[in-house]
Amino acid sequence: MIKLDNVTKVYKGDVVALRNASVEIAKSEFVFLVGPSGSGKSTFIRLLNKDQTPSAGRIFVAGKDIGELSSWKVPYLRRNIGTVYQDFKLLANKTVGENVAFALEVIGRPRHVIQTQVPAILDLVGLGNKAGNFPHELSGGEQQRVSIARAFVNRPLILLADEPTGNLDPATSVGIMQLLDKINKTGTTVIMATHDRGIVDRMRRRVIELDRGEIVRDQVRGVYE
Amino acid sequence: MAIKVDYVVRETSTNLFRNLSITLASILTVMVSLFLLGMALTVNLGVNKATQRWQGGIEFIVFINPGATTEQVGAVDKALRESPEVEKLTYVDQNQAMEEFRSLFANQPELIDTVTPDILPPSYRVVPLNKSSDTVEALSEQYRGKPGVKSVVSATETIKLVQKLSGTLTVFMYVVAGVLLGASILLVLNTIRMAMYARRREIEVMKLVGATNWFIRVPFMTEGLVQGVIGAGLAIGLLVLFRPFYERIVPDPTQFPLFSGMVPASSELFGIYVVLAFIGCVIGTIGAGVAVTRFLDV
Repeated sequence: MIKLDNVTKVYKGDVVALRNASVEIAKSEFVFLVGPSGSGKSTFIRLLNKDQTPSAGRIFVAGKDIGELSSWKVPYLRRNIGTVYQDFKLLANKTVGENVAFALEVIGRPRHVIQTQVPAILDLVGLGNKAGNFPHELSGGEQQRVSIARAFVNRPLILLADEPTGNLDPATSVGIMQLLDKINKTGTTVIMATHDRGIVDRMRRRVIELDRGEIVRDQVRGVYE
Repeated sequence: MAIKVDYVVRETSTNLFRNLSITLASILTVMVSLFLLGMALTVNLGVNKATQRWQGGIEFIVFINPGATTEQVGAVDKALRESPEVEKLTYVDQNQAMEEFRSLFANQPELIDTVTPDILPPSYRVVPLNKSSDTVEALSEQYRGKPGVKSVVSATETIKLVQKLSGTLTVFMYVVAGVLLGASILLVLNTIRMAMYARRREIEVMKLVGATNWFIRVPFMTEGLVQGVIGAGLAIGLLVLFRPFYERIVPDPTQFPLFSGMVPASSELFGIYVVLAFIGCVIGTIGAGVAVTRFLDV
């Protein structure tokens, strides 16, 4: 599903965020990216949906070299990749339902599809009764569920999560992880960057550890350290 | 991918009303610049029409009697062509004279209907080598009263003055209008930039979920276009309102035949309006286009 071939990313000022990273991730895998801040986790995530382009090396998503993708095709790549961030990125002036519907609307989905998909996905994330609420009326955990619903409503092949529990307390994080696990079980590949030791140790999934831009460990059913 | 019309209309109108004051500023600047340009074009058109037979250094015109014999015409023709004083000579036949008449009296169609080419005199337009008024007068005098010659008319000081004044005036107006057009492009650009800033979170989410670049851009492009079009519409409206005042300023052509072409006909004004509307669209599109390509990092 995803393959990094000797990928290096250097930012301005010779900051090396990722160095000679080679890794393969199969379909419907669940992968944790761990490592301290600045180790290259976010860069890894951003390279996959072409938010950033690698300085060297090649990245394949679903068999395609995304380095060769012309810029007008990038949106179509992103329709197959859902993304979830630590800060949710919800629109404050739209309700929960509208936030999720927006993601379908702007990729041109017809209204009848939106009208059936949005309630279904909100039920899936457990917010069936909050469609009419605004984000500020929800708890942090609920807001992250909305953002997951938005990322998953288009049924992407891959879900990227950059520290999705970074702003949440441990109890709430457990609920979010259960939700990501549920999504993973539908066959979606989930890649999650985190430095939440408790979650990684409890889930026992594949762990890729980064340190100063290098992959120092790649372990099946791994732990945080 | 098809972009839904109702989506674009909704987004564009929200954007337009969100920054109403700055949107109005750019619309009004477009309006003022296009109004000035329209005035300059109108005056220029009128002066060119009124003085068209005197353009290109033509100092006097020898009108031939429509009923003159071939020999008579031949003699005048020969005299003009062989004269060492004549630098350039243009023959205007009756059909060309009719065309000229049509354009000169375009706003008086009833007058045009009464005229046919065969009653209009053909003429020789003469550009003399020496353009000082004394020599021109002496030279034109040689042809006055020759057999077959109906009359000889020379460019008066008034005509030259009108040409010169209006030339300077329109150049000045073009320059001012040009500067204002540049300003209005920048204003449209900044309005769109502000609209994009106000919507930066939506734009971020749109990019995240895979909205195409054009889907994101189109509402902003139409916003710029709408500003240009409304500005042009207002400018045209002002010109229409202003037209009676302009016509009142122009001296009565029955007393001053020179000014018979100064008042443009509706058909000619329509051409100017089309040009203004087109420029309005271009301003809006350029302003918005630069804004979305420079500042909408997609």
